[in-house]
Amino acid sequence: MSGRATIRVALVALLLLLAQSTVILSIRIGGTHPDILWLLPITAALLAGPETGAIVGFWSGLAFDLVLPTPFGLGALVGCILGYSIGAATVAVDKRAVWLKPVAAVVGSVAADMLFSVLGAIFGQQQMVQIDFFSLFAIVAISSAFLVLPVNRLMRWALLVEGNRRTLVSAHSPESGIW
Amino acid sequence: MARSRRSRRTLTVVVLVVLSLTIISVDLTGRTHTITSGVKSVANGVFSPLRHAVVDVLSPIGDFFAGAVHYGSLQSENQKLRATVGGLRQQQAENAFEKNQLSQLRQLMELKNLPSISALPTVTAQTQEMGTSNFTNTITIDKGRADGVDVGMPVVGAGGLVGQVIQSFHHTAVVRLVNDGQSKVGVSFGTAQSHTATVDGQGPVSLMTADLVPPHTPLHQGEIMYTSGFDAAAFPPGVPVARVTSVHTSAGASQETIAVTPMANLSQLAYVDVVLWEPAA
Repeated sequence: MSGRATIRVALVALLLLLAQSTVILSIRIGGTHPDILWLLPITAALLAGPETGAIVGFWSGLAFDLVLPTPFGLGALVGCILGYSIGAATVAVDKRAVWLKPVAAVVGSVAADMLFSVLGAIFGQQQMVQIDFFSLFAIVAISSAFLVLPVNRLMRWALLVEGNRRTLVSAHSPESGIW
Repeated sequence: MARSRRSRRTLTVVVLVVLSLTIISVDLTGRTHTITSGVKSVANGVFSPLRHAVVDVLSPIGDFFAGAVHYGSLQSENQKLRATVGGLRQQQAENAFEKNQLSQLRQLMELKNLPSISALPTVTAQTQEMGTSNFTNTITIDKGRADGVDVGMPVVGAGGLVGQVIQSFHHTAVVRLVNDGQSKVGVSFGTAQSHTATVDGQGPVSLMTADLVPPHTPLHQGEIMYTSGFDAAAFPPGVPVARVTSVHTSAGASQETIAVTPMANLSQLAYVDVVLWEPAA
């Protein structure tokens, strides 16, 4: 990523972090709220491949860790794995497919929350698996499916700056649908 | 070309994963004043004002839309309210919300009068957020290091022990609630508080349990368990923690199966008291 793209991605991450800790936190169903930060690595991976997805996932996860009482670095680890996995799994998929973004958002967000809780338990935070997973997955899946399109627009704006456009063009064909 | 790109990609991910694991290790091995705690503290100091600004801006917008959506019902409700406003003025003191807050403050005062706590200094704090993560049971309060609040300090309110401070920043702190899966409180009960147990949080969806109670220990439903305050305990003695809801002795079991509910009403935590008492090292 170019320096300008990095700044834009950081701005988008800050915007989502603010949204998560204000508006999203107030949307609670049975004590559970949506987790929209996972949409950053998912959309970055869909737009620019696994490497960018992993980098965006790492940094956005680390930013998320700053405001969470869970172990510092856990969000970065999960974000990095999530970004890479989504990018690698969709590298051969037609990016113009209408179903791709919602499906990637739902599967990715649910998998990320599952990995987050399991890794948390492995690192000694047993309370992270003592939750109502059904409600969590349902709320996270539905909210991610709806919010992936606006977040994707923001991420597209963040990644496709002048300097970065050349990199993306070389990595993906013009027909890839990311434009 | 494609192969070198693939290996670079793999190297990037491996480096990031190793970096993440290193950060987690540093965080888990350290305590209050470690690097990660410092970074979190600085980030919190920068982020909190931003978050408050967003909340201040969004609240009126949210109220506006809520009002627009319910315009018809609000109009008729407004007319009814105008007709009864005189009577309501007289009954203002009995307003449910105020009563609730008064009740919470009264409970705080009662807790402050407990022999164990009355001798200790306390800081009254207001709850800012209830649970920032889906994976932990925490609240964020508006008092931090600047007010003397530090990691490990007990938090009481709403009728009993609320939890313990797990993160302390300059003007805010994070409190782990007593029903969080990571919470363990040493308690005593019975006549002369002669029996002991450990009250374990089981997360928000399950009842807490009292463990390490030998079979046939005299115990009845409704019995209150208090912090034991033994040497090196994490809490001062005599704070009400939980009330027994069920006791069951399984055949051949090495301990009683005891379900308990927190004495503190954890859904009504507008105000809490941080006891400025640190566990013995």
